[in-house]
Amino acid sequence: MSVIAEHGGIAEHIHPEPQGFIRKYIFSLDHKIIGIQYLITGMVFLVLGGLLAELIRIQLMNANGGFLTPDVYDEVYSIHGSTMVWLVGIPILTGGFGNVIMPVQIGARDVAFPWLNMISFWLFPIAGLMLFSSFLMGAPVAGWTEYPPMSLQGAAGTSMWCAAIFLVGISSTLTGMNFLVTILKMRAPGMTFTRMPLFCWGQFATAPLLMIATTALAAALAALFMERQFGVPFYDPTRGGSPVMWQHMFWFYSHPAVYIMILPAFGIISEVISVFSRKPIFGYRLIAFSSAAIALAGFMVWAHHMFTSGIAPYMQLPFMILTFVIAVPTGVKIFSWMATMWGGKIHLTSAMLFTIGFLILFTFGGISGVFLAAIPFDLHVHGTYFIPAHIHYVLVGGSVMGIFAGIYYWFPKITGRQMSEFWGRVHFVLFVIGFTGTFLPMHWLGAMGMPRRVATYDPQFQTINDVMSIFSFVMTFAILIFFINVIFSIRNGKKVGHNPWGARTLEWQIPSPMPYYNFKHIPSVYGLPYDFTEPLPYAHLEEELTDSPVPVGAH
Amino acid sequence: MESTKPSRGFWVLTAILGGISVAAIVYFWTTPTVQPWLPPEGGHPGNEVDKLFRFMAASAAVLYTFVVGYIVYFAIVFRRRKSDPPDALGVHVHDNNKLETAWTILPSLFVVLLSIFSVKIWSVLYLQQPANGLVVESIAHQWGYVFRYPNVKGEIPEEMHLPVNVPVTLNLTSRDVIHSFWVPNMRLKADMIPGMVNVIKFTPTRIGRYPIICTEFCGTLHSRMNGMVSTENGAIMVVESEAAYQAWYHRTQIAQARAPSAAEATEATAIALASGSASAGKTLFSQKCSACHALGPFSQRVVGPGLMGVLHDPSHPNLVDGDPATPANVAKILQRGFTGSYGTMPNQSENALSNQDIANLVAYLNTLK
Repeated sequence: MSVIAEHGGIAEHIHPEPQGFIRKYIFSLDHKIIGIQYLITGMVFLVLGGLLAELIRIQLMNANGGFLTPDVYDEVYSIHGSTMVWLVGIPILTGGFGNVIMPVQIGARDVAFPWLNMISFWLFPIAGLMLFSSFLMGAPVAGWTEYPPMSLQGAAGTSMWCAAIFLVGISSTLTGMNFLVTILKMRAPGMTFTRMPLFCWGQFATAPLLMIATTALAAALAALFMERQFGVPFYDPTRGGSPVMWQHMFWFYSHPAVYIMILPAFGIISEVISVFSRKPIFGYRLIAFSSAAIALAGFMVWAHHMFTSGIAPYMQLPFMILTFVIAVPTGVKIFSWMATMWGGKIHLTSAMLFTIGFLILFTFGGISGVFLAAIPFDLHVHGTYFIPAHIHYVLVGGSVMGIFAGIYYWFPKITGRQMSEFWGRVHFVLFVIGFTGTFLPMHWLGAMGMPRRVATYDPQFQTINDVMSIFSFVMTFAILIFFINVIFSIRNGKKVGHNPWGARTLEWQIPSPMPYYNFKHIPSVYGLPYDFTEPLPYAHLEEELTDSPVPVGAH
Repeated sequence: MESTKPSRGFWVLTAILGGISVAAIVYFWTTPTVQPWLPPEGGHPGNEVDKLFRFMAASAAVLYTFVVGYIVYFAIVFRRRKSDPPDALGVHVHDNNKLETAWTILPSLFVVLLSIFSVKIWSVLYLQQPANGLVVESIAHQWGYVFRYPNVKGEIPEEMHLPVNVPVTLNLTSRDVIHSFWVPNMRLKADMIPGMVNVIKFTPTRIGRYPIICTEFCGTLHSRMNGMVSTENGAIMVVESEAAYQAWYHRTQIAQARAPSAAEATEATAIALASGSASAGKTLFSQKCSACHALGPFSQRVVGPGLMGVLHDPSHPNLVDGDPATPANVAKILQRGFTGSYGTMPNQSENALSNQDIANLVAYLNTLK
């Protein structure tokens, strides 16, 4: 493979760093600042979404409800779901980690379109404020999926929801475009696709999903908005519309959307597990290509969310079988990560613990996904608590565990300081206990007969719901510890050098925090970053850690 | 550099995990009921779904046992020890083609097996259910279910009765938003979508009272459409003996017939149906009716239901207003119009139909078989 990336534009030039506070920290063009902005904003929404989740759990402590009115309860879980998907999962994993780490890992000085990057970011908090402002005018009640005709009956806030999600969709689309061009055109010389770190492979597989899938959602949202505001009949069956059309368009986006939230997490896991096992990643090519395979197949399975919607029985079969097929590349990844641990010298750091937790919890979520793909069993558990159980196992047990692993791992790179390992372990233990106690019983509840999105339920399920709620408080407490750890460590964490973990990807070869220009000289790459027995496969990095002046304007 | 051969401990662990796996397979293979994992099973093809569940649960248990067992074992055995030098490395292995081929091929084979098994059960659900049997319609609304039975006038709210061991075809639709019809004990579910008729076919085999649950969010009181046998709240499916069912059916038929309906308040003008001309009716149909009614089966809905065989379809012995499908009753709907769960149809004056037009249309509809 001798594909040498072209490099030009900002990759070649070092502009002087802007000095004013506004240009440096607010309307910054620097991918690292934008990434940190994404991470912080995403964490703020994680807190808000988490508080909404606790309102849900408090309501469910009594089978007859009583804590919230049914309408408020419906608003709370609808905004909880929308927040966690569009304002937490997707922005943190793509705009957040993707921005901070990906350009450095491929040896570039910024993303391809820094201005676009800034616009992507600023659309996101605006959309978030719009989404939460819908509480003021009657928030949407039909869940994060907002199926019409129910969403046509929803209060005024439902239209605000459409606009907010549309806007955050534009933000994702721009980010996807930006990342795709960056990875295609701005890799350092010698950084071929077979030498690219797996985190960048995760971002590379995610970018087209962001670009292509989000457009389908935008169209569906625009139609819903027009029907609600101007009476254009897209979905109302009494006026010739089709409610099932929304489901097709929504899931054509939202199935790839869950891969948008898991492929970057796969990338984080791949980096962390190799570094802390002190071993090359096992089966690099298979892991990289299986990400691409999952992304491609992810477009062809959307109707597995709709087996009860009355689509023709024969049409259901290809969706079922293709969904089963996705289990193969996913399984290959899990096995490869296990093989990476085998024979290693495993450092059980917080980042590694969250990675191990990821493997164990995400595998469970993957298996329950296979259960759901099987049409006959899906007909039983569709729309029950089995679904929230599955989605939380893949998105919390998967994506959120990956986010935590990534934060413990890259925190020293971003701040120059390390987070407390002791409190990191406490966070891990409490989080896994709280998570399991909250979400494992949901599978059983769903299979036994508890539907989702109910404000009151059959009293026979109350005891187990009480237990789940108590475990959810443990989980919240664990996240509180995490945030205290983050805030404390920014100022008071242990100072560490540029490469405390002994990692070999490019971001660890430059100072921490990373300088504005990333690299004084664009490095050349000679091999994979995972061969711990070999010398580092990079050239032209000699001056990065020295005090030599930055060659402004030069290569 | 350490050996790349697995240690003895690894094989001991593998044997233990294998033992757990065998135990899981034996358990799911032989356990007489799938409780406590699923509610008691009450019919066919729910029992077939349970077979698939046993197969998937056993496979999942095997896979998960090995994955978790190995991960935990690796994390403990291969952890960096205090005695290790700080720069100690793991064994230098980054690929093993045999292993990678194996763990790509084996899951692929399992996917083939699972697909075959799932398609088999799928075909039992959708293709192998008896065509005839009891036809019941259920219409959901905000917030409840109503049921229609052959030759029973009107709609019965919140409680459906079925004879045991008789195949049932349930035609499901909705009056307003999307609801769904789930009987956990039967393992069957379909969404109830306005403008569509979804069908569930099954045979209840166990006498009992089973909750009917809505699993698609349908508004403020969605939680009320959550049948609870324990508290007698919400909609209930009562499966009973043939004799008990017949008794209920006749009782209900009489009670429903006595209940006055709004339509009967106005006396219909008698129409001379015998004078109808089918050919004139055909022309009229294309002018007045075909915008909303297809010439297809009942379920082929445009705005109103399909009208092919409207007077001769044994699976739809009743018209949308619950009256038996007779020429006189069809004429009545054409005169009065219809407002109900299937939408709104204009009445005689709104449609600008003369009495003779109605007679012609009924004559034409009677020719559709």
